[in-house]
Amino acid sequence: MAANFWTSSHSKLLLDQDEVDMVPSMDKEKGLTLEDFKLIKIHMTNYIWKLAQLIKVRQRVIATAVTYFRRVYTRKSMSEYDPRLLAPTCLYLASKAEESTVQARLIVFYIKKHSTDEKYRFEVKDILEMEMKLLEALDYYLIVYHPYRSLAQLLQDAGMADLTHLSWGIVNDTYRMDLILIYAPFKIALACIYIATVLKEKDSTSWFEELRVDMNEIKNISMEILEFYDVYKQVIPDDRIIAALNRLTSKA
Amino acid sequence: MRLDPTDPGLPSAAAVGGVDQGNFKRVADRYLKREVLGEGTYGVVFKAVDTKTGQIVAIKKIRLGAQKEGINFTALREIKLLKELKDPNIIELIDAFPHKGNLHLVFEFMESDLEAVIRDRNIVLSPADIKSFLQMTLRGLVFCHRKWVLHRDMKPNNLLIAADGQLKLADFGLARIFGSPDRRFTHQVFARWYRAPELLFGAKQYGPGVDVWAAGCIFAELLLRRPFLQGVSDIDQLGKIFAALGTPTPAQWPDMVHLPDYVEYQFVPPPPLRSLFPNTSDDALDLLSKMLAYDPKTRISAHQALDHRYFTSVPAPTKPALLPRPAPKGESLSRRLPDLNVQKGPVVLSPPRKSRRVMLPKEAEGNPLEAEDRGGGGGGPSGHMPMSIDLAAAFGSKPIPRPKLNSVDRSHLKRKLDLDAEFG
Repeated sequence: MAANFWTSSHSKLLLDQDEVDMVPSMDKEKGLTLEDFKLIKIHMTNYIWKLAQLIKVRQRVIATAVTYFRRVYTRKSMSEYDPRLLAPTCLYLASKAEESTVQARLIVFYIKKHSTDEKYRFEVKDILEMEMKLLEALDYYLIVYHPYRSLAQLLQDAGMADLTHLSWGIVNDTYRMDLILIYAPFKIALACIYIATVLKEKDSTSWFEELRVDMNEIKNISMEILEFYDVYKQVIPDDRIIAALNRLTSKA
Repeated sequence: MRLDPTDPGLPSAAAVGGVDQGNFKRVADRYLKREVLGEGTYGVVFKAVDTKTGQIVAIKKIRLGAQKEGINFTALREIKLLKELKDPNIIELIDAFPHKGNLHLVFEFMESDLEAVIRDRNIVLSPADIKSFLQMTLRGLVFCHRKWVLHRDMKPNNLLIAADGQLKLADFGLARIFGSPDRRFTHQVFARWYRAPELLFGAKQYGPGVDVWAAGCIFAELLLRRPFLQGVSDIDQLGKIFAALGTPTPAQWPDMVHLPDYVEYQFVPPPPLRSLFPNTSDDALDLLSKMLAYDPKTRISAHQALDHRYFTSVPAPTKPALLPRPAPKGESLSRRLPDLNVQKGPVVLSPPRKSRRVMLPKEAEGNPLEAEDRGGGGGGPSGHMPMSIDLAAAFGSKPIPRPKLNSVDRSHLKRKLDLDAEFG
């Protein structure tokens, strides 16, 4: 699929880290810092993940939903697009785009089940309205690529299928970051494999050499992932998220 | 998207008002609305002028189904795929925008379609013309298949013809991405006359060969000027195929006997293809027989088909601009409208969402027994559509828990990564 990736819209839409780390000006005016911005995105990624697990959708749908979610905030502000509504809407649209439709009312049911917080409660009509806005914000580009398929193929090629569990989990964790907006999915897969091989002390040097990829780039991605594990190893306290979200609803 | 008779009762030339004036350059008031072209499956299609480019476009207004499930699923599929597929032989999705709560899709305006060409008794199709139409069809297919997209609804009616004569694949509402090796799909795709034998035998795992088979049927239709294999039911469709091409033997198609809906047919030897297409060149017949090969594994690919000597032997394909085209009269075109209209279709053998695709073309009532049979299971899949199979099935049904990296691991890793100079 990799050859195919380079001609895709996903490939053309890749951004630099700086572009991804721009807090939308409207949010900045309200005092939202880059750290707040990142925390909210992590929190909402977890939220999408939790809803998805309750609904029992495919991994791919979750990954697509998170990608949509993160992509929107490279273009739109959180003040305009309430993350608490956008998150479930991304899950809804991703389920359709990935051909595993989940009914909007089912999502609403699980939203209500998951949280009693009024600010998270939305109705079907809210999701459907946001769906249209979401489509527009995505400029109707709905196909996204993920590291999972490359991961399985690469591990098989390397004869390291025993690392599937570990590296798959690391790939899942990368969705708490913005990597999917910045790097080609197969590079993310390689970075995750690299971390897994180092962790399990497997010698993969010759295999990586044969791939003829820019190993520096793969290692840089690996470092970013590890740094992320370092920084966010502790559970983010709820009050920090609430404070960050409250900043959005406050008047500028 | 097609030029259909104008309904004078509907307002025309009314500018579509702008929405969302702020951030989007693509505001709805970019288009000047003209006459209504027709009623599609999921909404009205009207003609408009793109004031930005001066280009004539066709705008599909996607009706929101009772506000229950948001953007129509079929429409969404079409948007999703057409945003990725840009090719001279694939219809261009120029723009999309919401207006008054409805999603609007803007397509390039197409003058006619291949069905109208084939049906138009005033048109003579030379071998060079046929070659040109087939070449453009295959080019569009090659592009789709290279992008891992199966069209799954190839038929003359979905091959549209632009003002410059270019033929373009349209209607991607049934199209899907393939490529996952173990992915299972519904076999209820294509209008029956264009359905490949593996689909008729209920195959769930299939590939681009299904589009090639359909293109082969379209090729034959261009030669015959009528649909090649006009079955009135799935069983009858297979019968028609076997009568024309002979009953396939297990040697010819080893996987056939393992297909879910496989039934043994009485053996009929293949009549010479020449007897069905008396005035056709050897090269054309050779290509046709390869496109209609029974075993999908031996069937020619769209790419290989383009390289077939048929396309290099004389006569050269007619230049698109010089191809004959039907007079854009309402009369012959109006007969096509019911095709688009679900309610008028006779027996529906597939889920309602897709019914417009699989209904019986014109043969009145269809076969209720067969519909019954399909619903009843018995080895054959029932009407429901297997949306998709869990890709992660290989990894167990539960999502893999995130791994826990403890701090010792982490520092160990970082050290190793920092020091690891082998790749530097």
